[in-house]
Amino acid sequence: MHLSGSENSRRRRGLLMGVAAASMLVAGSGAASAAANCIQGDREAPYTIGWANIYSVPTWMKQTEGTIAAEVEELKKAGLVDDLMITDAQGNAQTQIQHIQSMIDANVDAIVVIAGSSNALDRVISDACDKGIAVVNFDSLVNTDKVTAKINTDSGEWGAAAAQWMVDQLGGEGKIIVMNGPAGISVSDDRRKGAQPVLDANPGIEILTETNTEYNVAPAQEAMTSLLFANPEIDGVLSLGGALSAGSVLAFDRQGREQVPTTGENARQFLELWKEKGLEGWATMQPNWLGALSVYAAVQALEGKDVPAFIKVPLPVIGDDTIDGYLARADQFPADGYIYSDYDRALFDKLLAQ
Amino acid sequence: MSATTVPANLYAAVQKRRNRGLTGLYLVVAAFLVVYAILFPGLLSVGGFSKFTQNWFPLALVTMAQALMMLNGGISLAIGPMVSLGAVIAAVTMGGPLGVLGGLIAVSVAGLFIGAVTGGIVAYLRLPAIIVTLAGSFIITGIALILLPRPGGYIPDWFSDLLAGHTPVAFGLLVLLLIGWKLYLATPLGLGIYAAGNNPVGAFRSGVPVERVKVFAFALSGLLAALAGLFVAAQTGSGDPVIGTPFTLNSIAGAVLGGVAFLGGKGTMRGVICGSLLLSVMINVMFFLGFPPVAQYVAQGLIIVGAVAIPQLTSQWRAKP
Repeated sequence: MHLSGSENSRRRRGLLMGVAAASMLVAGSGAASAAANCIQGDREAPYTIGWANIYSVPTWMKQTEGTIAAEVEELKKAGLVDDLMITDAQGNAQTQIQHIQSMIDANVDAIVVIAGSSNALDRVISDACDKGIAVVNFDSLVNTDKVTAKINTDSGEWGAAAAQWMVDQLGGEGKIIVMNGPAGISVSDDRRKGAQPVLDANPGIEILTETNTEYNVAPAQEAMTSLLFANPEIDGVLSLGGALSAGSVLAFDRQGREQVPTTGENARQFLELWKEKGLEGWATMQPNWLGALSVYAAVQALEGKDVPAFIKVPLPVIGDDTIDGYLARADQFPADGYIYSDYDRALFDKLLAQ
Repeated sequence: MSATTVPANLYAAVQKRRNRGLTGLYLVVAAFLVVYAILFPGLLSVGGFSKFTQNWFPLALVTMAQALMMLNGGISLAIGPMVSLGAVIAAVTMGGPLGVLGGLIAVSVAGLFIGAVTGGIVAYLRLPAIIVTLAGSFIITGIALILLPRPGGYIPDWFSDLLAGHTPVAFGLLVLLLIGWKLYLATPLGLGIYAAGNNPVGAFRSGVPVERVKVFAFALSGLLAALAGLFVAAQTGSGDPVIGTPFTLNSIAGAVLGGVAFLGGKGTMRGVICGSLLLSVMINVMFFLGFPPVAQYVAQGLIIVGAVAIPQLTSQWRAKP
């Protein structure tokens, strides 16, 4: 149950973020002048928000929806929002088009969307934009620039930062294993590509081997277990996904091997193992509050504020110095969930002002 | 038709028998449409009607494609991949030297050819359609991914606007298709579909070219699925090599809702159209009623079971003295 939920969420996110990374190249142009994109200035508070999700089942998605609902509650108190409409396309991009069309028909004021396909939604989203609806797209992005804003982190930076931490940790000398997500998934490729320049610049770091598994604990643990037999000397594990790291740590533990510096993501299981086994760790995340930020950005745009066409969210980093703060809040998150960094209005305003 | 009244009565009797069991579905669909129109009066405007029918249109096509297979006593698992391939071919060719017309021909030829090959294997090698189309689904998905590894390609704007703009062109095409289907049923090959699906041996003994009927039906099924892909490409303005995947299951659901029997030879296109319409309108009605996503999963299942079970229950109830 736990594993399969986690696996689903990872696989889904892998796909979604892959699409996201692909479209990121296209985004970023067309900064708004006075008002933000799509805004015609004829809509008044309180606003109705539509949240067009591609797939609501994975834990990451549920947590993201949680941040959206919480943000809407806040905005309701301020009298800015009166309703939130949620749809789940059950993984079907065609259904997502239908849902967004229905949101246009229902004349919502803002649409927040994670795209099920990087280009299938282009036309319906342009239609929404033409109607003066604030469209904010995050996590998995669309091609069209006819949106109010796109919001995401950078997968390449993710890989680079993880590799840099590993190099620093090992003092530029050591044998490491690289753990990747599934081959051919863009987010996995993009993180790995991001790590390469850092590894090239540090020839003292020797890559023993690499793994490609589902973003899931069990296959990662299995892969690492066999690698432990083959490699008596491993100085670090450069893992580019949270559940992979948990599998790696468990494999080291079962074999009675001493833990080595390990990178990962903010999966609760990994963070707890990190503390429990006392390893040297590093993690980053795709923050769930991108959802809350998207709602906030949409409302700001509707209120006539200037919102940048592309909002790049810096990757929050978890280190040995900050992990305690994350674990202190662990009980607020599902066991197979992600402990995301704290967020508040000040952070959102700062991100929107960039 | 001759002057005697017997054929007319026979025709009416056959039609009546075919409509029996569908009354429940008609009522359910009508009720949903009325509720939808009340919740969203814009449905009755040209723009609203156009957009709604555009979202329904590809599902209607694939459901018809699936129904053709099921009338033959088979089931196709390659419908979704065929949609993807149709979308990909359209998106790859229409921006190139072939142009829109060339793309349209390329998609149609691919659909007809793949359908006919599948039908040939099923009819002449006597393999179950479900196995052949399962294998076919992998091959077709692979070809689509080779042609277009990532979503992309190009569909001219005017073509997208023509098919999926603010005019009900898609609905008009659907009406034309239904007329075409009626005409096809008047041909020996069309008539043979029901005969061969219902009782292949009997049909063979009566002189129906059972194999040829199958190959033609499979080819038409492939054509419909590929054209659904073409439409999806036009609607989205580009191609996506995996966009068709969910259509496989939805086409089966739509066909079964529409009263097509798994064992072949039983079912009507009007039922099939209503089945797909129910699947499509249900999504919009639940949205406007403000159902939370979790409830939508449950409601969707209940509606489908209900729409299939109610006709069964009423016929049982009628059968009682």
